[in-house]
Amino acid sequence: MKWLAVIGVIAVALLTWGFWWEPAVKQPIEYPHKTHVQQLKLPCTSCHQRAEKDAVAGRPPTALCVACHSGGEAKSEEIKKIQAFGEKGQEIPWKRVWRLPPHVFFSHRTHVAVAKVKCQTCHGAMETLDRPPARPLKTLAMNDCIGCHEQWEWPNEKGGGVVKAVARRVSTDCNACHR
Amino acid sequence: MARWGMVIDLDRCTGCQACVIACKAENNVPAVGAKEAVRGRIISWMQVLTEVEDHDHPGEQMRFVPRPCLQCDDPPCTKVCPVYATYRNPEGIVAQIYARCIGCRFCMAACPYNAKYFNWHRYQKEGPGQNPDVSVRPKGVVEKCTFCHHRLQHARERALAEGREVAPGEYVPACAEACPARAIIFGDLSDPGSEVSRLAQSRRAFRLLEELGTKPKVIYLTEGEGRG
Repeated sequence: MKWLAVIGVIAVALLTWGFWWEPAVKQPIEYPHKTHVQQLKLPCTSCHQRAEKDAVAGRPPTALCVACHSGGEAKSEEIKKIQAFGEKGQEIPWKRVWRLPPHVFFSHRTHVAVAKVKCQTCHGAMETLDRPPARPLKTLAMNDCIGCHEQWEWPNEKGGGVVKAVARRVSTDCNACHR
Repeated sequence: MARWGMVIDLDRCTGCQACVIACKAENNVPAVGAKEAVRGRIISWMQVLTEVEDHDHPGEQMRFVPRPCLQCDDPPCTKVCPVYATYRNPEGIVAQIYARCIGCRFCMAACPYNAKYFNWHRYQKEGPGQNPDVSVRPKGVVEKCTFCHHRLQHARERALAEGREVAPGEYVPACAEACPARAIIFGDLSDPGSEVSRLAQSRRAFRLLEELGTKPKVIYLTEGEGRG
């Protein structure tokens, strides 16, 4: 009887394997960040344009991919897929990988355009990836936010030295981000 | 630093409840259902308190008092919170951090204005039709009016990107925006030129349960009798 219970537990564990943690995200196109960022030296915001203009970064529109990948014969299967989306006039159904809890207000524009924080600070070394990440490279906690907000220092634009966070309206007030 | 405050002119209020509906829509305030309502669990961050006319004295006016959280400068609710989930922030807004709240409801007992509400169940899920700027509260936390501070977050974000300060009138809560009688005026009390601080100085001004010393930043205006 005891053995039966043990076998039962193992069977349930095996059957539910893979449902225990977040499932891997499979993107419609095997986009290589490495080729675009390291080899072609494109800045992140050349595709993730809304990161500089809006609170939400969003995903790149098909038109942006096609702008480079339309002409000539496609070199790979993946580029053919992009062209197919482009010809049909469809948006590529990119899947979301990074999610903040809904009770957090986070503006990409403030962090990218105003504070000039590097994307890698939160997103990790995306430029080294040959294929899209199945999961976020970093697990962010509130300590990651607070760590920066308490100690953030900018090089002083007017002269030498640094500007402390307090002088630059970087808030550690809960209400500044929680909603 | 701004000190946000609100003036409600009771002589202008018609009791239409537009502020109540605007608040519910803006802040994803759930409809709890009939069974819960019977138990006194209705959630309404903005509530229009009414005084029913006395039949012995016909011709008397019916009175309405729209009551959001009064955002006290000396709030009794924050003093009893054991986990610092509710506190008065530097701009004078009494915040409620849902992720931090343990649902002990001490603050609800402490609030003399009954402005705080408890989520006895998970009344709703995130979905289309809800305001994505406001989180849906989980079961077991206390919620309250926050002067629509998510609108301040957005206003401040825009101002930062454009390298300026938040302009007067850029940040207005949903209730003030919706009021058709313009009975609700919102603004910066620390700015002596603002309409709200001018009205707060009016001889018609009074505060709810002033004698408690909670120093509310929601100030009511009315002529003569019927104060508080």
